[in-house]
Formats: sequence, structure tokens, C-alpha cells
Amino acid sequence: MKQDNSQSEPIRISKLDPKFKSEVMKHKDAQGLNACFACGTCTAGCPVHEIFPEYDPRKLAKMVKLGMRKEVLSIPYIWYCVTCHNCEQRCPQNVKFFNILNVLKNMAAKEGYAPSPWVEQTQQIMQTGIVFPKDEELAKKRESFFLPVLKSDCKKAKKLIELAGLDKIKAKKQS
Amino acid sequence: MNRYALFLGCTTPTQVIQYELSSRWVCKHLGIELVDIDDFVCCGINQINLSQEAGLMLAAMNLAHAEAKELDILTLCAACTGALAEAVESLKDQETRDRVNRKLQTIGLKYNGRTKVKHISRVLYEDVGIDRIKIKIKRDLSKFRVAPHYGCHYLKPESAFEGFDDPDNPKTLHQLISATGAFPVQYETLNLCCGGKSFPISKEPAFYLVQKKLDNIMGKKIDCMVVQCQTCYLMYSDQQKVINGRFKKQYNVPVLLYPQLLGIALGGDPINDLGLNSNTVSLNSLLAKGEINKQL
Repeated sequence: MKQDNSQSEPIRISKLDPKFKSEVMKHKDAQGLNACFACGTCTAGCPVHEIFPEYDPRKLAKMVKLGMRKEVLSIPYIWYCVTCHNCEQRCPQNVKFFNILNVLKNMAAKEGYAPSPWVEQTQQIMQTGIVFPKDEELAKKRESFFLPVLKSDCKKAKKLIELAGLDKIKAKKQS
Repeated sequence: MNRYALFLGCTTPTQVIQYELSSRWVCKHLGIELVDIDDFVCCGINQINLSQEAGLMLAAMNLAHAEAKELDILTLCAACTGALAEAVESLKDQETRDRVNRKLQTIGLKYNGRTKVKHISRVLYEDVGIDRIKIKIKRDLSKFRVAPHYGCHYLKPESAFEGFDDPDNPKTLHQLISATGAFPVQYETLNLCCGGKSFPISKEPAFYLVQKKLDNIMGKKIDCMVVQCQTCYLMYSDQQKVINGRFKKQYNVPVLLYPQLLGIALGGDPINDLGLNSNTVSLNSLLAKGEINKQL
């Protein structure tokens, strides 16, 4: 178990963004945030928190409420969520933290923090319609199992990705 | 005759072909007709990380294609199930559906909210039924002690699954395993996630979570683990080998996809029908225990 030292920095009110919370809550899925009374049931049931105490749903919810915009969006751990849905499944206040986290990740992506694997997957979908290439080797392998040729409509998928502006998201530069 | 549009997803038809093979065989054997739809694309689940809107649109595109053919969707991957079922739920909202349809219109599609999404195990459970499965069993698997693993998106978010099973205390896979004659073993970390969804970002959560579950089930004298999602399969089977090398462990837990276990019980050919020879952890000792005379 790693030590959690992330609370050692004092919070400076002058650096908070008072609009951050309302910006997050503008999204339909994140509207329950105000109901959170910080009981920590989400954190207690989070499998990622077990190994990375720095990833803490309760603390993230509080940070959003306080307006710690830069701190929240730049935390690499927000991308470590395994999407098990325990946080929302167990929340006594019916706060959809999983959805709040998605809103935060979407905002972080727009601000240049998108991890390259997700950006690369999007590029792959625009080429083949799925997150993997479809090469000769795969075609032969499928044929050997007497399975049909794998097709997908990547043109339509590409168009939708462009309409949603997802093609504009660039991966975070490696430091 | 039950007919479904087969939604293969990305990983199964490219990396875990034995899941597709055994699913097709089992469905054919039990009278479920699967229709291949050439226009299906990725369900959009990982794109939700970067743009929820893009993820929803990709899901809606798939739902619209199935609807145009008047078919419901049968999924193999738990994550596709969750993503598509959640999209069905979101698109019940008229405003959301209108917004998405304005975009779908540009590619000549429309979704009217009629498509249902069911995971293959749910189809087997609800459409075929435990009793009808039991009648068809040809091989005796009563010696197998099996650890079930459900996969998070098979039942969550709960709002998308009509109370089909309880995500905190699930029973359907246990019953499907019992139907084959094998014994489903209960264990403490039953609902623990495989970690697969953030594996491309960081391997550490999965390495930790996989070991935690394997440590738990190794103490239960089990013969194999049964999963119902190819990502869970890759984590527990392929990554089991990686973990053995990297962390100097000696895990030796055979992992089967549920249609493979059911296929064995139904009398399928272990290699040609079920692709058991493609599984990373050898299943030879398992087959020997079941007195199935086949070397993989």
C-alpha cells in the first residue's frame, strides 16, 4: 500500500475557480453532485483506490465543489478508473460519480490531458470501425476458424466522430 | 426461433476468436439464430472517456442498424452490453434522442428507441432457459468446480438492465454453470473487477485486481474459472501468464468463456466447435478430469 501524501498542500482560495462546479453540473449526468454528503461509500468500494489512494472519488467530488479545476483535470489518476460502477451502485444519495468522472475526463481531454491510448483507439475506429486493425493475418486466422469476413462501416463511424469533435482531441504530450 | 443481430465488438473477433466460435456453435445448437450485420462498429465505450457525446453516437449508430433490420442485439462482451444498454436508456429521453438523431440523419440513419440489448448469457438464461439447457446436456461435468466471474458491465449500471439480476448478489451465471452439471463455487471476491478497462492506460490496477481474485479462488479448490466477457478473459488468462513471469507467481487457473463450458457439456468438439486449444492456460487437465478424450 502506497502512502497518500496528496493532502499536504494547502488549498489557496484565490486560486479556486468558483465556476468549475456549475460547469461540471451543467451536464445532465452530473447534476446529482450537490446531493453528495461526502460519506465516502464510493471511495470505500473503489478497487482502484485500494492500490492508488490518490484516486479518491469522495475527494474528487469535494475538489469539484471547491472549484479546484486545474488540480482535478490534471490528476493522471482520473484515467485509472476501471469503470466497475461500484461508486454509483453503492451511493446512498444516488450520485452518479461514474458519470461525473466522465464529464471531468471529457473536460480534461479538451484541455490537453487525453491519454494517447484513447486517442489512438479513436483514430483506429476512423480507419477500420473497431479499435484494432484488420489485416491479412487476421483475415487468414478467421478463415481458418470458418468465421465470416469481419466488416464494419468505418465511414459512418468517422463522420460521427467528426460531428462530435472527437477527432480534434489531441493526446497529451509525453513529458 | 429466436433471432438476434450478433454484436461482436472489437476484441472478440480479433483477439479472442474462440469466444465467437463457441458462441456461434452454442447458439446454433440451442436454436438461437444469429444475424451478422456488416455495418456494426465499435460500441463507443472507450470513446466515452474523451467525449460522452461521441460514445453515445457510436452506440446509437449500432442500435439504429439493428432496428432497421427489426432485430434486437445479442452481445458477447460485457462492456459492449453495458455501453449499448446504457445508450438505450439514455435515448429513451426524447430530447437526447432528437439531438442524436439530428446527427445520425447526416449518415442516413435514425433510431426510434426500439432496439433491446442482451448479453449472450442473458439470452441463454431468459430465452432458452435453465430447464431446456439441462435437457440437452450430453457430457457429465459434475466433477468440475467452477469459479464464476460476471464482468462489471454485464449488470451495471443497474438502471440499464431491468432488474434482470442483482449486481450485488448475482445468480444467473451460477445457475447457467449449474445447468451444465458443473458446480459453481461461491467466493469472497466474486464481484471484483478485472481491471481491463483501464489496462491500456495503466497495467497496475489490473495486475493487482487479477492477483487478488486468483489468490482468493486458488484457495477454493477450483478446477477452472468461467467468464462471460473477452476482456475479463484476457485479464485472467493471458495476463495470468504475464503476472507469473513478472511477479514470480505460479498461478495455474484455466479460464473458459461460458459458451465454451456449455459447449463441452452439450457435446461440442473441443477444438473445431469450441476452440479450447486457443485458450492461453492449458485445459488438458480439465478435460482429463471430465474424462473427455481429447488432447488440445
